[in-house]
Amino acid sequence: MIRLQDVTKVYDGATVAVQDIELDIQKGEFVFLVGPSGSGKSTLIRLLLREEEATRGHIWVAGKDITKLPSWKVPYLRRTVGTVFQDFKLLPQKTVGENVAFALEVIGRPRTVVHTQVEQVLDLVGLADKGDRFPHQLSGGEQQRVSVARAFVNRPPILLCDEPTGNLDPATSVGIMRLLDRINRTGTTVVMATHDHAIVDAMRRRVVALDAGTVTRDQRTGRYEEGTGT
Amino acid sequence: MTRPVYLIREALVNMGRNWMVVLGAILAVFVSLTLAMGAVIGSEIVRINTLQWQDGDHVIVFLKGAVDGITLESHLGLESEINSWDIVQSTRYVDQAGAYDEFQQIFANSPALIREVDPASLPASIRIELTDISRWRDVQLRLIDQPAVRSVTAQGTVLESVSTVARVMNVGGTILALIMAGSAVVLIANTIRMAIYARRDEVAIMKLVGASNWFVRIPFFIEGILEGVVGALLAVILVALFRPWLAEAGEAIDLIQLGVSDGFFYQRSVILVAFGGLAGLLGAAVGLRRFLKV
Repeated sequence: MIRLQDVTKVYDGATVAVQDIELDIQKGEFVFLVGPSGSGKSTLIRLLLREEEATRGHIWVAGKDITKLPSWKVPYLRRTVGTVFQDFKLLPQKTVGENVAFALEVIGRPRTVVHTQVEQVLDLVGLADKGDRFPHQLSGGEQQRVSVARAFVNRPPILLCDEPTGNLDPATSVGIMRLLDRINRTGTTVVMATHDHAIVDAMRRRVVALDAGTVTRDQRTGRYEEGTGT
Repeated sequence: MTRPVYLIREALVNMGRNWMVVLGAILAVFVSLTLAMGAVIGSEIVRINTLQWQDGDHVIVFLKGAVDGITLESHLGLESEINSWDIVQSTRYVDQAGAYDEFQQIFANSPALIREVDPASLPASIRIELTDISRWRDVQLRLIDQPAVRSVTAQGTVLESVSTVARVMNVGGTILALIMAGSAVVLIANTIRMAIYARRDEVAIMKLVGASNWFVRIPFFIEGILEGVVGALLAVILVALFRPWLAEAGEAIDLIQLGVSDGFFYQRSVILVAFGGLAGLLGAAVGLRRFLKV
């Protein structure tokens, strides 16, 4: 589903963000990207979204080499990749339903399809009764659920999450992780960059550790810190 | 909801949210294009009046009469010779009786003056229309030493200064219109940039969820076009309101015409509104260029 071959990203010709990354992620996998700040996790997510272009190497997403993708095709790549961020990125003047529907409207889905899919996804994230609320009327956890709903409403085969629990308390974080786990069980590949030791340790999924831009560890069922795992 | 309706609604919502900036852009376009339209109409007025002045007799040759020993045959011989010159379009011989008729028409309001003038004192003349009025001096030089010629007068000096004014008005008007048009484009570009800045979060999310570049851009293009067209329409309306007043002022002055034809006004109005839309489109393109990279 995702493959990185010898990927290097250098900013301004001097700052190496990631270097010689080799990574294979299969369809339906749940992968944690862990590592200290500045280790290259977010750069990797941005490379997968083609928000950044690799300085060297090749990246395949859903069968396509996105390093060779012309600019005008990038939007089509992004329709196959849902994204969730630490700061939710919701539009404050739109209701929950409108925020989620926005993701479908801007890619030209018909009104009836938008209505049905928004209802279904709000039900999935447990916000079926809050579609008319505005983001400021929701808790942080609920806002992140809206963000997940917007990322998943188009049923993308890949979900990229950059610190989705970074702004949430531990109990709320567990709720979000349950939701992502549920989405992963539908066959969606989930790649999540995180600093949250407890979540990684509790989930026991594949862990890819990065340090100074290189992959230092790749375990099928790992923990946040190096130790037991396979 | 169909996509065009969605895009137009987005543009209108956008304009509503930033209505003060939008109003500023429309007013700026309105002022710019009013001045541009004024320059265009001013050029046309000069052209019309120049044409009027250019029509008719360019050179008048006053002839000596019988008292000087010059006969009618000499007059007609000279006219025939002048007629054979390349630069002469046509000639007209006005005898003393004709000169007196003309005098009576010109001074119809002064019967005392008409009574005082002896028809025999008015000279016969040859009125010359040139093919190229700028060569009036050549004709004057060739005629001045002819034995039958008393004097030669030409509208050349007046025509030269009128032509200069017309040229200055045309070039100046064109430059002014271009500067105004350019400023309209820049102002719209600025407004679109502000609109993009105001909607930067929305645009970022649109791009994140896979909206095509054109889907993101089109509402801004619609906004730019609307601002340009509305500003231009206001300019046309203002000029249309001033037109009758200007034409009346021209009639009062009598010597010059300050009105333009309906056909000219409507044609230029359509061009101005189309230009407003084009300026809006161009302004939006300039405004969008830097801000909407993938």
